[in-house]
Amino acid sequence: MTTTAKPKWEPGSLTPYAFVTPAVLLMGVGLLYPVFMAFYLSFFDWEIGRDFADAEAVGFVNFARMLNDPQVWEVLGVTLRFGFWVILLEMTLGIGLALLLEKPIRGASLFRTIFILPLMVSPVVVGLIWRYLFDARAGWINYYMSNWFGMEPQVWLGDPQLAFFAIVFTDIWQWTPFIFIIIIAGLQALPSEVVEASEIDGANWWQQVFLVKLPMIKSIIIIALLMRIIDVFRGLEVMLIMTGGGPGRSTELLSLHIYKRAFETQQLGYASAIAVLLILVVFGLSLLILKLSNPMKTRSDV
Amino acid sequence: MKFFNLAATAVAALVIGAAGALANPYEKYAGSTIVISWPSNNHFKVAETLVDEFTEETGINVEIDYLQYLKLRDRQLLEMAKPEGEYDVVAWVVMWKGEYVNKGLLTPLSEMYTNAGLVDPDYDIDDIADAYLQNGGIVGGAKGYLPGKSGGLYGIPFGAETSILAYRKDILEEQGIAVPTTYDELTAAMTKLNEAGIPALTSRGATGHQVTAAWLFHLAPMGGRIFDDKWNPIVNSPESVKAAEFLRHVAKTGPTGISSYGFGDATTAFLQGDAAFWLDSLKIAALSRDESRSKVNGKVGYALHPTDARCGSETGGFAMGIPANSQNKEAAFLFIQWMTSKAADQRIVELGGDPIRISTLQANTQGFDEYPVVAEQLPCADPDWRPLIPEWNELNVDVLGQALTQVITTDDPIQPIMDEANDKIRAIMEREGYYVWQ
Repeated sequence: MTTTAKPKWEPGSLTPYAFVTPAVLLMGVGLLYPVFMAFYLSFFDWEIGRDFADAEAVGFVNFARMLNDPQVWEVLGVTLRFGFWVILLEMTLGIGLALLLEKPIRGASLFRTIFILPLMVSPVVVGLIWRYLFDARAGWINYYMSNWFGMEPQVWLGDPQLAFFAIVFTDIWQWTPFIFIIIIAGLQALPSEVVEASEIDGANWWQQVFLVKLPMIKSIIIIALLMRIIDVFRGLEVMLIMTGGGPGRSTELLSLHIYKRAFETQQLGYASAIAVLLILVVFGLSLLILKLSNPMKTRSDV
Repeated sequence: MKFFNLAATAVAALVIGAAGALANPYEKYAGSTIVISWPSNNHFKVAETLVDEFTEETGINVEIDYLQYLKLRDRQLLEMAKPEGEYDVVAWVVMWKGEYVNKGLLTPLSEMYTNAGLVDPDYDIDDIADAYLQNGGIVGGAKGYLPGKSGGLYGIPFGAETSILAYRKDILEEQGIAVPTTYDELTAAMTKLNEAGIPALTSRGATGHQVTAAWLFHLAPMGGRIFDDKWNPIVNSPESVKAAEFLRHVAKTGPTGISSYGFGDATTAFLQGDAAFWLDSLKIAALSRDESRSKVNGKVGYALHPTDARCGSETGGFAMGIPANSQNKEAAFLFIQWMTSKAADQRIVELGGDPIRISTLQANTQGFDEYPVVAEQLPCADPDWRPLIPEWNELNVDVLGQALTQVITTDDPIQPIMDEANDKIRAIMEREGYYVWQ
């Protein structure tokens, strides 16, 4: 210890940490603790209604069971298929709409407001709205399809393919606006010189979009993509209300499967083991995307 | 403080004892508040009026926590697992009774029946329909859930039910169809209605608990069971396959969308006039009289659950008991006893709910078309139409609910589907240790 050396901790250097601390604490209590507990619980066989002290420690039994459980792989498949379609379509639609509404056209603010409305509706309400719209007997969709196009009534939520379509459609309805706002914010923050320069260079609209604008907001697109992927794995409310995961397991996403394991069949330990798998999959996917293109690494854009 | 309270109570009891009997059995508990966990279905909603009358008469305050019936279990389990729970009375779907007792969450009612100060001598428990009492309240008899000498009483049925056939008098008359008494006649009637373009039998059909319940309604009369006497699954038996075939026929000839129907959707289809038959809980009768929800009031006739190999209707609905961690057990018992008394049972009928007592059914045959049918159906009610074991939820959700969805949404041959389900059930039972005695 020397008193002459320049003190390592200047009062000012602590400031950033002071700002970060509340967030870190909140994350620790609200996020890391439950994750840790899920991991811990996955080594036990426990049901609600029994004392946890009496729970049997079963080691890796839950994980072994999970790896051999065709149901888990089936719902993981459903989740990935669901994620593929919704993210593909939402990104395409969201970016497309943002490009169309970026220019000041008449009524643009009205359109923008309308487009982001679905985002403000709670997922439970979204599930209820679409459940009744898709209702086979009394739903508007069947009603208008038969009145306008003379189509036979479809059992939207009672047929594996149609139910899957219905939840994809609903998700697109709700989440395309999310992509839309993020992308339009990015587009509007683009330096106008670059766009003008490309115009002077004779780029047409398509070239401008694909060679100038989209590459410049690449990091924003990736963040939006990442958030949607994580959302897909968290998605539960809408499916729970619309279909309850049925018919069969055709709309049972991984998180809904975990919910059912935990609260319907009362296998909390096993549900926790699957939850650990969920965390690993999301973590892996996020890492992969960040590795492919890390928006934090380059600070050039926006 | 606690000692002081106790001493004060003891002194008060002595004083009152010396002065003679209590003026009324509720006086001691007047001013206390009990919390009850109830499903938000028709019967329990109309019973709310009766709860107010209970408070008025006894001075015991009641707070009702209503939840959708399938959501009750989570909530009740969480409450009852605490050292001191919020709930003093819980109403459970009869299929959960084994789990609750197995986990030690309920108070045996014998604790209350040994306290003469609490028991109403005019209660007459034998008047409660035996099928209801055994099915909802007795736990630990044969197989753990059936009547038997090893069983004990944990609850009193309230909002209990069996299944009957309801039919649209106008449609059957118009089509020249006689009221079916057997499954063969019902099947033929469904085919005929379908050919005439009329949706035949409404049914539950959503994946999981709902579609399984729909199949079970037909399994028992067709002579099938889930397990034999040694817990060997037999859901691939000819009877089971026949019941599944019937269910497929139901889905094909019934109102659009059965594969997504829960109880509420199946009910709505019938009440809106989109189905000619109903074969499920007797609760349909009270619902079809409710003009705010029903377009078929006055057009509905009732008949016995059709028979096949035997007569057998469901036994289900709810029973009320007292959590082991309740802080107001005596007041809770008084509440249950009052709500299921003869007078209250009659009031339930007047309010539009479902009675549990034979005397009430007999006294009200004039006003209600279904009561004579229900009274005749009850001796046939089958307490073993589904196994009320703790594993039942898993079998339901993971195996049968999936297999039967495949039955009603595809044209795949049924036998292999049920064979596969049978193997899966065996594996689960093996894991849970059911075969250690073999």
